[in-house]
Amino acid sequence: MSSSRAKIVAAVRASQPAPLPLPAVPEFTGPASVADFSAVLTAIGGRVVVLDGLPQLAEVLGQLFPANYLLASAMLPATLPVTSDTPIDRLAAVELAVLRAAFGVAENGTVWLPEANMLHRALPTITQHLVLVLDQRNLVATMHQAYAQVTDVGGYGMFLAGPSKTADIEQSLVIGAHGARSLTVLLH
Amino acid sequence: MKVALFVPCYVDQFYPQVAIAALQLLQKLGVRAAFPKQQTCCGQPMANSGCEQEARPVYHHFVDTFQDYDYVVGPAGSCVYHVRKHFDIIDQTPAVQHVRQATLELFDFITQVLGVTELPGAYPHKVGLHLSCHSQRGLHQANESELTPVRDGQLRRLLVKLGGLELTELDRNDECCGFGGTFCVSEAAISARMGQDRLADHLRHGTQVLTGGDMSCLMHLEGLVRRRQLPLRVRHAAEIFNEAFA
Amino acid sequence: MSPANTPTHAGRSELFLLDAERTTWHDETLWFVRQKRDKAVYATPEFQALRQLASDIKDHTLSRLAEYLEQFEAAALANGVRVHWAADAAEHNRLVLDIVRAAGASRVVKSKSMLTEECHLNPHLLANGVEVIDSDLGERIIQLRDEAPSHVVLPAIHLKKEDVGETFWQHLGTEKGLTDPQQLTEAARQHLREKFLAAEVAISGVNFAIAETGSVVVCTNEGNADLAIGLARVHIACLGMEKLLPRLSDLAVFTRLLTRSATGQPITTFTSHFTKPLPGREMHVVIVDNGRSKQLGRPDFRASLKCIRCGACMNTCPVYRRSGGHSYDFTIPGPIGAILSPNIDMRKHASLPFASTLCGSCTDVCPVKIDIHAQLYKWRQVLAAEGMLPASKQWSMKLLSRVLARPALFKAGGAVARLGLRFVPHGLTHAPGYNPWAIARELPAAPKQSFRAWYAQQPDHV
Repeated sequence: MSSSRAKIVAAVRASQPAPLPLPAVPEFTGPASVADFSAVLTAIGGRVVVLDGLPQLAEVLGQLFPANYLLASAMLPATLPVTSDTPIDRLAAVELAVLRAAFGVAENGTVWLPEANMLHRALPTITQHLVLVLDQRNLVATMHQAYAQVTDVGGYGMFLAGPSKTADIEQSLVIGAHGARSLTVLLH
Repeated sequence: MKVALFVPCYVDQFYPQVAIAALQLLQKLGVRAAFPKQQTCCGQPMANSGCEQEARPVYHHFVDTFQDYDYVVGPAGSCVYHVRKHFDIIDQTPAVQHVRQATLELFDFITQVLGVTELPGAYPHKVGLHLSCHSQRGLHQANESELTPVRDGQLRRLLVKLGGLELTELDRNDECCGFGGTFCVSEAAISARMGQDRLADHLRHGTQVLTGGDMSCLMHLEGLVRRRQLPLRVRHAAEIFNEAFA
Repeated sequence: MSPANTPTHAGRSELFLLDAERTTWHDETLWFVRQKRDKAVYATPEFQALRQLASDIKDHTLSRLAEYLEQFEAAALANGVRVHWAADAAEHNRLVLDIVRAAGASRVVKSKSMLTEECHLNPHLLANGVEVIDSDLGERIIQLRDEAPSHVVLPAIHLKKEDVGETFWQHLGTEKGLTDPQQLTEAARQHLREKFLAAEVAISGVNFAIAETGSVVVCTNEGNADLAIGLARVHIACLGMEKLLPRLSDLAVFTRLLTRSATGQPITTFTSHFTKPLPGREMHVVIVDNGRSKQLGRPDFRASLKCIRCGACMNTCPVYRRSGGHSYDFTIPGPIGAILSPNIDMRKHASLPFASTLCGSCTDVCPVKIDIHAQLYKWRQVLAAEGMLPASKQWSMKLLSRVLARPALFKAGGAVARLGLRFVPHGLTHAPGYNPWAIARELPAAPKQSFRAWYAQQPDHV
């Protein structure tokens, strides 16, 4: 136990005001249809494709991406297998990662991607292109419902809303900063 | 109903026509306001400079001057806001409490106490409304663009009812003009730039007569207008309504 | 009126404003960001309710901060996270360097953290032989230019694409004269990718720390934090202690407010929750005080600690937009900077609470309802009481008080001023050397009579 810790906690205790109540947060809800989710995600630079059933996955991927892309996935045969032990230089070669998202949020087009679905923690951001497969029954309206769904935050998990982007150069929007250059959500 | 006219110090000395217009407008609405001549200032310039402790005697003097009136009406949102909000540092005697809540901005008095929602007459000009920050965000006399896209407010409603008056719409509905009290001299460069930008917005949208409820903002803007000889006339809203009211 | 070389906001602003066209560009760029925020706010009917909830959650958290800090630490420790406590910037820097050294590392990739800017971490690491690369694009640009960020969310907002093109030509070998943002960003992506792949330690800031789970939450659009942390063996999260929230569910309120307020987006691209290190890796959290407990003890100013660093106050501030972040000379610029900085160094930052017209727009946009403009006013009183105002100002205010409390003096003073205006030559009354009003404006035309003189002459005056 460091002395700074004791000093800081004591200083905080001495400075904080009398306790104020924690408010109750209402159940804010809203529309949560495929159309609502898709409209927002498309507007923020993502792409949404509705599958005619999960068996169509490989076929649709073939239509969207070149056949020779180095593919990492647990959902279909991978050309570049990835696990948590995969060395960095192998990982860096992944061109397309196809992962399962847990649920989506209609108000902002974001999806929850828990570590268990990532294969490797860096895969969602190191891949050039990212595809997330999502059961369309798992759409919620707002972040309030979203966090209610995250019963176990695990070791690492992210809400991902569209492709990596930046507007740091004169407020010009550029898609594909450091993470994936494109984000496609396949709904089934 | 005993009503006193509170005339901001700079209006008394440099823009008496605004106080005269306020007095005459009230008269036309059936209110004979008195002008207690021992009044001086609300103390805001000092308080905004960090010297509110030095302003205490000025606050007491204000309360002494006005304590016997039912309403204290001032054609200046910023001064009125200061009395209502910042006189909380002196002992809250019954007189102080009374004066704080009885001090009203001119158009708040006209609409809320007199219940007047329309003033008569015509003013066939393109009028640009400058919303003073204290009147808008302090006294809640108009909607704030930070909260809603709907441009609405007390002065707007009264002005658009004058015959022939065309209210110009600005790009930036409620950006500060840059006066800010002593800010106008301590940060003179930014103050001037802010004022020039407001005027440019008005000119872009065809304003011929620039108005508002606060002579402090208008004094600053008029100073810029005159220096650059811009094609704008500056009139306090009290002058406009008084002129229109035959 | 300040000469450009005085250490005040006014002096630095004067310099900024010399380039009128660039000022227009800076002002319009930031106003555009404000407008994007407005659009998002208008489209969210419960936005005002969310602001109140966020404000209340933060008020509650600050009132039990000691308890939440202890809860956070216990949860983090149980997750295998190492927790360190830094009383000040120097200790923070020392602790971070120790962690880097203990890991046998010399290559650090950092994602955006205003806290590490506040502590001046980079120079400390560099002086001790550690390479530190800022991976956020805006931060990398200013790192290459050896400049400080000018905004909490948009660090390079003061730079034009020509400036960035010039910097990348000098440091990254891009084509001279290249200004296309897409191509410049691609060049940065390639350059930084090498750094990510080679990084041994990833340092991040923390947007929100969750007491309930011991998690740290990092929000980015670029994904740089996730990439760096995902690859590096060691993650150091630098946490300002006011960033705590009680529960995971509280994040719903804050994630709905943060980015809408900052840029008008409904949420950042990445909202990442780091809770446990992988086996064989390390995760550290450095909890930093550095003046926060002192601010917590100031009843009038503790609400400033609710800040979630969205930057909305800067985007809306008409003064910030026309003077730029560097004119504040403090890590956090703009209205929030002006109420945080006097707590750190009252004398150095005495001009900041005065760099405002108290218009109140900042208070209106703050997602956690900090009463910014009210605090600016209160800091002015504190500064005056502490003798931080220029002597001439204190003296003139005392004089003004005497005049304003005495009607006869007031009447006489006003008469003298009007007479002066009417009869003293324009060149003298308007001399910019001693009358700063007159640099850009005419003084009001002097009326023959004051109102009170006119009133006294009216036959039926009351």
